[in-house]
Amino acid sequence: MKLKILPPTLRNDKRYLSFEAISEIPLNRDDIISLVWESSLNFHGECKTSKFDLWIMKVWNIKSMDKNIIKGIIQCNRNEVNSVRAAILLISKFRGKPVVFHTLGISGTIKSAIKNFIKLEN
Amino acid sequence: MFFDFHVHGDSDLALEAQRLGYNGVAIIQSSKNYNPQKSKEIKEIRDDFNIWSGVEIYAKNPEDLKKKIGKYREKEDVIIVNGGNLKINRAACEDPRIDILAHPYKNRKDSGINHILAKKASENEVAIELSLQPLIKTRFSLRAKLLSQFRQIINLHRKFGFPTIISSNAYSTYDLRSPKDIIALAYCFEMTKEEVENSLSKNQANIIDKNKIRKDIVVKGARIIR
Repeated sequence: MKLKILPPTLRNDKRYLSFEAISEIPLNRDDIISLVWESSLNFHGECKTSKFDLWIMKVWNIKSMDKNIIKGIIQCNRNEVNSVRAAILLISKFRGKPVVFHTLGISGTIKSAIKNFIKLEN
Repeated sequence: MFFDFHVHGDSDLALEAQRLGYNGVAIIQSSKNYNPQKSKEIKEIRDDFNIWSGVEIYAKNPEDLKKKIGKYREKEDVIIVNGGNLKINRAACEDPRIDILAHPYKNRKDSGINHILAKKASENEVAIELSLQPLIKTRFSLRAKLLSQFRQIINLHRKFGFPTIISSNAYSTYDLRSPKDIIALAYCFEMTKEEVENSLSKNQANIIDKNKIRKDIVVKGARIIR
């Protein structure tokens, strides 16, 4: 039997963190998940990472001439936004090649994150 | 207003820094292969985005350091000393002509700064740099050690009040991070909001203001008004 979902008042407050990842080799969603989790576990440890409620919501491939750019949204706990930002800042390598994550902004809903920070064309 | 005062490279890096939200960068050349032509070119680019040129001094001993400061002080906007050696750290803290002492903890177990050096640094207004690049590149025990060295420096900063500076020490665009992310990282090693903002903007602005009137300063607190 499936658990009944919690009423909104009992759920944890969350924030949506828009990011962009620039890398030399192309990344997919699974790579991003493993990079973010690994970095967070290394930097903050298991106990603190459990507080973050980390979830990679969605990623988009952005066409670019010379670099592989990916934009995406991470869901995290409202009180731990700075720690998550610090964790994704420290990502530097993927399979021996450089990669960098920049936070574009923080918003309360996915809709506004896409509208204000991801800015998809057409 | 955010500044990054330790960037190696050329105008590509400056453009990327501008995109990330910086208001100015200082492009630093190494004293080992210093090229006066490049410093001139950097000074010519300045338009809407502030670009300063600087030099990072690698010195073998304190005498060598003094000689090199005399050589570069007039020509460059920012003078950085590559720290790590205790004698160099001490000589750098005692010299008011120096702007920044970069990573005094490099290749050391301790932070490279003690109460005596801290006092000297605050008298001479030498800023101590916390460099992000080694923090990003290292892992596990080495990163933990770096963070503890940062904490030691911040503790001394609270007691003695020397300026601190956070900079990227970037060699490529992959080493640059946006200033707001850096603020979030600094909260993780318990810097207060005021301390981080000072070390990303106010202290850098002070260095530039001080260097504008440096020629007129006779002794600390007295200057010739032309």
